[in-house]
Amino acid sequence: MSEREKGGVPDDALIRAAVAGDDGAFGELVERYKGRAFAVAVGIVGDGDAALDVVQDSFIKTYYKLKEFRFGSNFYTWFYRLLVNQAIDRWRKSARSAEVPFDESWLSGDASPPDSFSYPRTPEELARDRELGDALQRAVDALPEYHRAVIVLREVDGMAYDEIAKVLGCSVGTVMSRLHYARGKLKESLKSHRGG
Amino acid sequence: MDCRTALGKIVAKADGLLTRQDEAELADHLAGCPACAAEDAAIAATGPALRALTGIRAMGKGAALDAMGTRVRAGIGEVRETRRRSSRLARWVWIPAAVALAVSALLFYPAGTDRSPFHPSSFDVAVEDVESDAATVALVDKGEDLPRVIWIIEDAKT
Repeated sequence: MSEREKGGVPDDALIRAAVAGDDGAFGELVERYKGRAFAVAVGIVGDGDAALDVVQDSFIKTYYKLKEFRFGSNFYTWFYRLLVNQAIDRWRKSARSAEVPFDESWLSGDASPPDSFSYPRTPEELARDRELGDALQRAVDALPEYHRAVIVLREVDGMAYDEIAKVLGCSVGTVMSRLHYARGKLKESLKSHRGG
Repeated sequence: MDCRTALGKIVAKADGLLTRQDEAELADHLAGCPACAAEDAAIAATGPALRALTGIRAMGKGAALDAMGTRVRAGIGEVRETRRRSSRLARWVWIPAAVALAVSALLFYPAGTDRSPFHPSSFDVAVEDVESDAATVALVDKGEDLPRVIWIIEDAKT
């Protein structure tokens, strides 16, 4: 049972009800996973509005593919596979024609000079360090799409390696190697802005 | 522990793959090695920094996310309507085609039957729509004796 199912109706039961025509049951699945799905989509496509579209389209596709769901497997890994592919497609189509600007509206007050070993841990802290925010954003945007998907699933969603492997249809070894590469690139961007 | 080993353990630590003992040994090394400590701090910061960046990119979308259920329902409705329209179209498009086929068959009804010469007025073409996706097209030879169905299309798949 997934975390989200605790205290509620199991995913399988909702899926069976939805397949039988209960749209309310599918609505419950949407409510259950929309937040996680949105965070993953934002991490991959890099833009909030585009991520909302990706999440919406993914749920709609899922609705029409529910009959293909194999009971006994995890709904969210099955759904995430669709979501990640949808997000990657969206990112490819946008072809990064317009870079998402780092949101300056988050800057407030005087930015204090950073401690050399201190890195931002919250959006507020990151927003106060514009240069670092820009560098990190460039580093994320420059990652190959499946490397970005791996690090987002791991660090933003907190997925386990074997679950990421299932979502992306690759081996755990591939997941770990992509994660290592992606983490290395992000680390370089962080260190280069701390004089490392 | 040398720096090379420490760097491998720093990565493993970020992946949550270190044992307590390894972690303790690494901590000892980091305490006396500023270069490895800087590496460790940067690696450990990648996750929180990525989450912070994602948080910034997601800012201001809370209301839209709250309405996701409505958006999805509307999208499902749109897809359903589009499918219904194309299904309706598919249902009606084949009927004229079938009628044309029936008429041409009627016009070129083969010689060599006992009813030659062919005379179109002795045939009826009946098209009957049914409720489902199917319709029936029948080519009826009225003949001199009893009417005879010589060709029937029951649905689009026939």
